[in-house]
Amino acid sequence: MELKKNPLKKKVKKKVSRDGKIMFLCIVPFLILAFLFSYFPLHGWIYSLYDYKPALGLSGSEFVGLRWFKLLVSSKTQIDQIIQVMKNTFAMSFLGIATSILPVGFAILLNEVKCKGFKNIVQTLTTLPNFISWVLVYMIAFSLFSTTGLVNTLLQEGGLITDAIKFLDSDSHTWLMMCLWNLWKGLGWGAIMYLAAISGIDPELYESAKIDGANRFHLMRHITLPALMPTYLVMLMLSIANLLNNGMDQYYIFQNAFNKTHIQVLDLYVYNIGLGGNSLSLATALSMLKSVISVTLLAVVNFASKKIRGSSII
Amino acid sequence: MTKKWKKIVAAGVLCIGLITGLIVWYSVNESSSKSSAAKEKTLTVDVYDGLANYMGIQKGWFAKEVKDKFNIKLNIIAPNVAGNGDTLYQTRTAAGDLGDIVIVDTGEQYKELVKGGLLYDATDLYKNMKNVKKYKSAVKYINKSSDGVYGFPTSVSSLSPTTSSEGTDLNYGAYLRWDLYAELGYPEVDTLEDLLPVMADMQELQSTTDSGKKVYAFSLFSDWDGNMMGAAKQLAALYGYDELGFVLAKADGSDYQSIIDSDSEYVRALKFYYEANQMGLVDPESTTQNYDTLYSKFQDGQVLFSWWPWLGQAAYNTTENLNAGKGFMLVPIKDQTIFSYGASVYGGSQFIGIGSKAEDPERISEFIDWLYSSEGVLSNASQTQGSAGIQGLTWNLNDDGLPELSDFGKEALLGGDATVPEEYGGGSYSDGSSALNVTTVLGIDEDPDTGYPYNYTLWKTYQEETTNSIKKDWSDHSGGAETTIDYLKQNNQILVAPGASYVAPDDSSEISTLRNQVKSTIVEYSWKMVFAENETEFNSLLKEMQDTAKGLGYDKVLKVDMANAKDQNDQRVAVAKKFAE
Repeated sequence: MELKKNPLKKKVKKKVSRDGKIMFLCIVPFLILAFLFSYFPLHGWIYSLYDYKPALGLSGSEFVGLRWFKLLVSSKTQIDQIIQVMKNTFAMSFLGIATSILPVGFAILLNEVKCKGFKNIVQTLTTLPNFISWVLVYMIAFSLFSTTGLVNTLLQEGGLITDAIKFLDSDSHTWLMMCLWNLWKGLGWGAIMYLAAISGIDPELYESAKIDGANRFHLMRHITLPALMPTYLVMLMLSIANLLNNGMDQYYIFQNAFNKTHIQVLDLYVYNIGLGGNSLSLATALSMLKSVISVTLLAVVNFASKKIRGSSII
Repeated sequence: MTKKWKKIVAAGVLCIGLITGLIVWYSVNESSSKSSAAKEKTLTVDVYDGLANYMGIQKGWFAKEVKDKFNIKLNIIAPNVAGNGDTLYQTRTAAGDLGDIVIVDTGEQYKELVKGGLLYDATDLYKNMKNVKKYKSAVKYINKSSDGVYGFPTSVSSLSPTTSSEGTDLNYGAYLRWDLYAELGYPEVDTLEDLLPVMADMQELQSTTDSGKKVYAFSLFSDWDGNMMGAAKQLAALYGYDELGFVLAKADGSDYQSIIDSDSEYVRALKFYYEANQMGLVDPESTTQNYDTLYSKFQDGQVLFSWWPWLGQAAYNTTENLNAGKGFMLVPIKDQTIFSYGASVYGGSQFIGIGSKAEDPERISEFIDWLYSSEGVLSNASQTQGSAGIQGLTWNLNDDGLPELSDFGKEALLGGDATVPEEYGGGSYSDGSSALNVTTVLGIDEDPDTGYPYNYTLWKTYQEETTNSIKKDWSDHSGGAETTIDYLKQNNQILVAPGASYVAPDDSSEISTLRNQVKSTIVEYSWKMVFAENETEFNSLLKEMQDTAKGLGYDKVLKVDMANAKDQNDQRVAVAKKFAE
């Protein structure tokens, strides 16, 4: 039996290898791109081993080994700071994930609006904030909520308060406030995907449900929502993958001495130390931490996926 | 099938082609920018200026003067405006080109830039710079750590190091709205904290401006926070302290304080602001505004206290306000000994250098040399210093041969602003003044052409001219003193730190990293303390600040700063002795 099989196997192998070569050639450009943009930047990690001074260049800077890594864990306060930063990062990411169901609801409700003009206006108005940069969002926030802003002035004129309320320069509910700003900016944009998914639902489903006596809420609950779930789950997966990358521009813009303790996410902390504090090498060491945590998270999710679904992600 | 593959492969090749193309284009671009230009061409010079508070192309009369003389356009790059600390410096040095003209700190930055090859060795050009050459010893001092001439000193002077380098007013002082203070009946201020009830009464007297804005006694800002909260450090200067890292060192070397100690002048200042805030005297916008906003508040009369004459007086004491009997004047605190910077024979803490990639170093060196000539000094009035401007435009010699402000000069310099005649470049006078904000030669130095100081406020003609009711009233209540400095001298309330041009040695990288972490903690907590809800919170924040700072390695950094502060004092003593002989 084995003797018989051998020549056949060889033939198959030969064919596979020729096809394989062509296939491989096809993906080469993408491999190069992946290498250039995902692996090549990793050589920057070497800066964490030097005492890098921009004016002198890497070759002129002193090699210091693991000094920066040791510094990161050198005292309790250092560690406490990193823990606080990680807490902020995770808290705001999880708040983001928890509120990611809201665009689904918004899309479903928007879909029920029958007046087309009104629907379009609402959709445009809610999508627009996504295209405003955080800097401008902060300008809006500042003119509304600063101590002499619109809200405070109105409240004071109305005699409701005497002293201005500090909305921006206080540390109360920082996580929640950031989450709300994020939501205001991203709600309409997030709903676009779901609106597209809704338009792809077979109308026959609705018709037959109506014949069976379903009202509008039944349709929403039993047809639209289940039809959106696969899309939602994909989006959720993607956002979990980005758990540590919750951006920094928003927090960078909103940070001040009062809310700094709770607003510093990992990316912002790295920025503040590296560029704000003139310690690029320490910041590099710190940002490597992010990779370590990401890989750990991935491993955990992968393991969970294996247990629950029976197949791993990677 | 194979056709399809070919397409995909072609797309891939195109992709790679594009990337190589970009790289090639970038490198070609890089090399072409190095080619030199003809001398007739207008040269746009990038000035990386650590002192400037304006970013962009220089405008107005100063721009025209420089263009006419050197065919140079100044493009000012200001890290102060860009914000975010050293970000701009780092990214530009990492790219290998800081600017064609560089105005940065002596000491560490000088050494780093020379070592990194970012500065041009101007040894040959220096031979022809006849104005800079007058300050040979300062040039030598600045370049003592290298072989060539890479930098030219700023704030040079030919006066003795124990003379105050300031003009009629010191750099620091408690400047209050004199009209309101007078209305209260000149209450006595024995010590700093006595100011609080006085300020409260003043704020009550005038709770809104003419334009209907709310008036506050104190308004703070955060752009200049460095090792500590800037506003708090200013109050320590009233008692003769200046900062060096985390140390407050007294000008005469008699005391060195660690800023975060509970009994330091710094914490005292924080407490002072905290109490002021409890009394409703602190502008709630303090936390979010910057210096520019604050300055316009002063112009509008929304603030009653200024740490410096060049803020309160410059912004508010316009001819119009003075004639109306309103203005900022020094209110003496009985136990003060105000810090004063002695004239620095070796130059200030910044230097002017030429970038190694500058297109036409020769022309740039001519421009720099001009900045040290009497014409250059008069025109390049640093924004806070008050040199007189162009002869013939803002001032002229009168019949007695004394320099005197012209009508235009009075309008422009004393009245706030004026429109410059077209032949001098047009536009507003203050917008057109030099944005370099660098003092090459001190304003109190004598202009060799006229025999009088560069600074018009020191001219006899000016002092006679500008007597007004406020100034007279102030003088009457200050023992007949003519100027602030006279009064302070009479009462022995000045502490001059001899101008030794001391530059702290480089921090080791470990210290500098620790310092950066600690200082952001200190600044953060300082602001929180000022705006604390109550005394318990203030104290617990203070404790937290001390613990966090110490946890981050404060003590290590402090040890370095203490040693530096003592070295600085040794040099001050030495230079004072040398010039006393």
